[in-house]
Amino acid sequence: MTTLIGLDPTSGPFDRTDDHDFSPRPASLDGAVVGLVANGLGEGEIFLDALYDELNKLSDLQAPLKVVKSSVSIPPDPGDWSRLTEEATVAITGFGG
Amino acid sequence: MTTAAQHAYDSYEALVEGYFEKGWTDGLPIMPPTPEKVAEFLAAAGLSREEVLGTVPTREVTCTAEQAAANAVMAGCRPEYFPVVVAAVRAHLHPKGNCHSTTGTLSGAAQAVIINGPIRNELGVVSGAGCFGPGFRANATIGRALRLVIRNVCRGIPGFLDRASYSTPARYSFCFGENEEASDWAPLHVQRGLSAEQSAVTVHSLMKMVEATDFASRTAEGVCDSLVRDIRANGVAGDSWLGEDGNVVIVIGHEHQRFFLEEGWSKADIQQHLWPRLNAPATSATDRMARIGKPEGILIVAAGGAGMGASWLLLPHLALAITEPVL
Repeated sequence: MTTLIGLDPTSGPFDRTDDHDFSPRPASLDGAVVGLVANGLGEGEIFLDALYDELNKLSDLQAPLKVVKSSVSIPPDPGDWSRLTEEATVAITGFGG
Repeated sequence: MTTAAQHAYDSYEALVEGYFEKGWTDGLPIMPPTPEKVAEFLAAAGLSREEVLGTVPTREVTCTAEQAAANAVMAGCRPEYFPVVVAAVRAHLHPKGNCHSTTGTLSGAAQAVIINGPIRNELGVVSGAGCFGPGFRANATIGRALRLVIRNVCRGIPGFLDRASYSTPARYSFCFGENEEASDWAPLHVQRGLSAEQSAVTVHSLMKMVEATDFASRTAEGVCDSLVRDIRANGVAGDSWLGEDGNVVIVIGHEHQRFFLEEGWSKADIQQHLWPRLNAPATSATDRMARIGKPEGILIVAAGGAGMGASWLLLPHLALAITEPVL
């Protein structure tokens, strides 16, 4: 029987993430620092501000940690990622325009 | 010795089905990337398999020549096409080619591959009638090879890192040549600093392509008025990260080009004429400023067949058009 060898054309194995679990959610947002990550498109920043105001009515939030991407073309700056992971309890982002 | 993992199959059909199951195709059958065939492609480009063609830092991806060759084989390329594929991959993976954004975007942006220089005729890259469509092996497979690299190497997989709401058929393949023989216009790559004898590939991110029809105009200015109207109606994506170097590609059709030629307009004349009109302040929601930083950012390409009073606007996503020499 002829055997045909084919090479793997990918840059390596990776998780498809379809079955990834969500990160643990806090039971309460009281005292939480909510990160807001605005992508700079459309009315995203206004929407996130309004969403924070609504959440603040339901829980006793600390001041938000707001990140507005420096460009719509690229991800947040490394410094912004660090601020989010080090200082925010949870973070909310949106996508699209 | 290959560094890629190898998979054994009993037949061509089994390999094709196996690659479908692994999610390594664009939905169409592929040619088998055997070690021998991949080595032949690498030899055609004079590259070692470990040669790095580019990276996508946000995805922790490095694209090697071997990976690109495997995908070029799968796409149905001939070995002699591979240097062109390499140039296209390098162009796309240029930092300002912005692979991460242009292949992950909800908008489903595609990549237009424009080929210039002697290699067009050597490989049979079509720049005339039907050049955007099917029927031409070099056009079809070079464009497909870049898309397979984006899928398999850069992980631009629908529903994963490709988040397109609709995507576009242009993502199967979109590659054509410039019709350099139609006039004495400076070819695109020459306008961008390369010699006419040098072959080159320009990769342009494609947010939207719009047919700019104008059957009525009989003058260069008349055609330009139509181009300005259609570009301003559709808008041009711009961003501070791209700075003043943003691009729009205008593919001037045969019937429009002859009006420019009759009046002695060069590409530079068209650029100079269009630029202030595109950058003029908006007058309405359908007449918006199309901010292009400088006239040279308007990339004029001659292509297409006779008979249709139309040109095409290749409106950009968030990237610069990058030109790379074919080495």
